[in-house]
Amino acid sequence: MSNRNEVVIRGVGSSSYGRFPDRRVESLAWEAILEAMQDAGADAGEIEAVFVGSVFGPPGVATRTLRGIGIGGVPVLTIEAACASGTAAFHEACEAVALGRYSNVLVFGVEHLSSLFTSGAIVPEASDGEGRAGLPLPGLYALQAQRYLDQFGARPEQFAEVAVKNKRNGTRNPRAQLKGHAPTLDEVMSARMIAEPLTFLQCCPVSDGAAAIVVGRPRGAKGEVKVLASALASGGLWDHRSTDFWGEAPVRRAAQAVYAKTGLKASDVDVFEVHDSFTIGEILTLESLGLCEVGEGAALAPSGHTQFDGPQPVNPSGGLLSRGHPLGATGTAQVAEIVWQLRGTAGERQVKKATLGMVETMGGGAAGMEGNASVVGLMTLR
Amino acid sequence: MSTGASPNKRRAGEAMGGGFVADPRPQVQADQVLGVRCAACGYPSAPAAPWCPVCQSREQKPASFGPGGTVWSSTLVQIPVGRWKPPYAIAYVDLDEGPRVLAHLASPAIVKAGTRVRIVGADEGGDLLVRVA
Ligand SMILES: [Zn+2]
Repeated sequence: MSNRNEVVIRGVGSSSYGRFPDRRVESLAWEAILEAMQDAGADAGEIEAVFVGSVFGPPGVATRTLRGIGIGGVPVLTIEAACASGTAAFHEACEAVALGRYSNVLVFGVEHLSSLFTSGAIVPEASDGEGRAGLPLPGLYALQAQRYLDQFGARPEQFAEVAVKNKRNGTRNPRAQLKGHAPTLDEVMSARMIAEPLTFLQCCPVSDGAAAIVVGRPRGAKGEVKVLASALASGGLWDHRSTDFWGEAPVRRAAQAVYAKTGLKASDVDVFEVHDSFTIGEILTLESLGLCEVGEGAALAPSGHTQFDGPQPVNPSGGLLSRGHPLGATGTAQVAEIVWQLRGTAGERQVKKATLGMVETMGGGAAGMEGNASVVGLMTLR
Repeated sequence: MSTGASPNKRRAGEAMGGGFVADPRPQVQADQVLGVRCAACGYPSAPAAPWCPVCQSREQKPASFGPGGTVWSSTLVQIPVGRWKPPYAIAYVDLDEGPRVLAHLASPAIVKAGTRVRIVGADEGGDLLVRVA
């Protein structure tokens, strides 16, 4: 471990998030990359490799994006790990720098879902056994939520509280897709049912967007954020022997790896950006990160613990529920938010104490497996 | 190339208005789900796997699972998804001595974890259909 290089985030940037059917997908990435490069004070010539997170591409989007900004002739790799694609690209960039392969890597995540899923929700994957059988993504999470209700005697209102919290946070985020309105608990509960117990306001929107990160060796510049550790854990079998929820084990494995590397634990972390594509997702994630015992996660938002002004705020950006969920861009957007929080530049949504920040993304949706991958990262201002 | 209603480059499948996609679901025959059981360790797979995902043995014996099973979780979907019209109920079911499979419930209602169910058969679209036992 001692011969690993120190890794920092030199700069971050992002587009706004929303439905932008009239915008070229590349233009969203340019907006994010230009901000990140400027933030890093980096020249195109410094970039030795480009790692891109994207799920639905389109194929070739990475190279077409780079044409516009004069980065070329370096390795360009696109990584797909479902919703965790952006953080998977980020993790691999951190590892590459830590191991001395590159000194500066540009990471970006980009997605343009509005041009692909024109009628609303993401169409289930026909080559997946569960997608083919009519299981939509909200249904996949609803199965977790319903099991959670049965197993722990939780109440659906506790799930809805996660949406109330994150959507309230989102009203402070000028780049968020759903920044206009903070719904009440009643409004979340009485919204159109999508897959019981998850209502429309407990499901993230279909989004377009991009975010970018310049990862590299430290230069001593102001605002550099040290990556204390990051880890990626893919899913194993999820089958008749599994007693836990799909997705929990990869998050737990990635978190344990980060805690083992740093000697830190969940209770040390000041601010979190975690995967809340559906409300139950945030609850299971926080349990898997070790913020509380299994079965206690539903109480974290209602008790105030994870609220904006609580002891451990979760998703001050508004999370996926409010910022939006441009799949491959989500992980990079989460990293950007944590960087702004750690620097104290998050404006109206700045949390009180932000010394240690954690990012977690879960990419699910593969029948019979715990998930595609989970990535956990822990950072602090250098 | 898709000639369906939705000119979508994704593999949406025929049920979604896209082109043909080979069926990844477990095959259903009468009140049984067809698959394999590992001759070495007994691990059940449906659909069949090329080798045992647990012990890597290549000796996979044809097996059928059901008709009984236990619900791990269920939900009631309230949005249209391809050929499925809301409300429809879907469940993870642990077939007796068999694999965990995704099934549609014959009655569109949530059933609690632990509820015993029985395979009805395949519906007209080839999905596994179960009812409360
Ligand atoms: Zn075996």
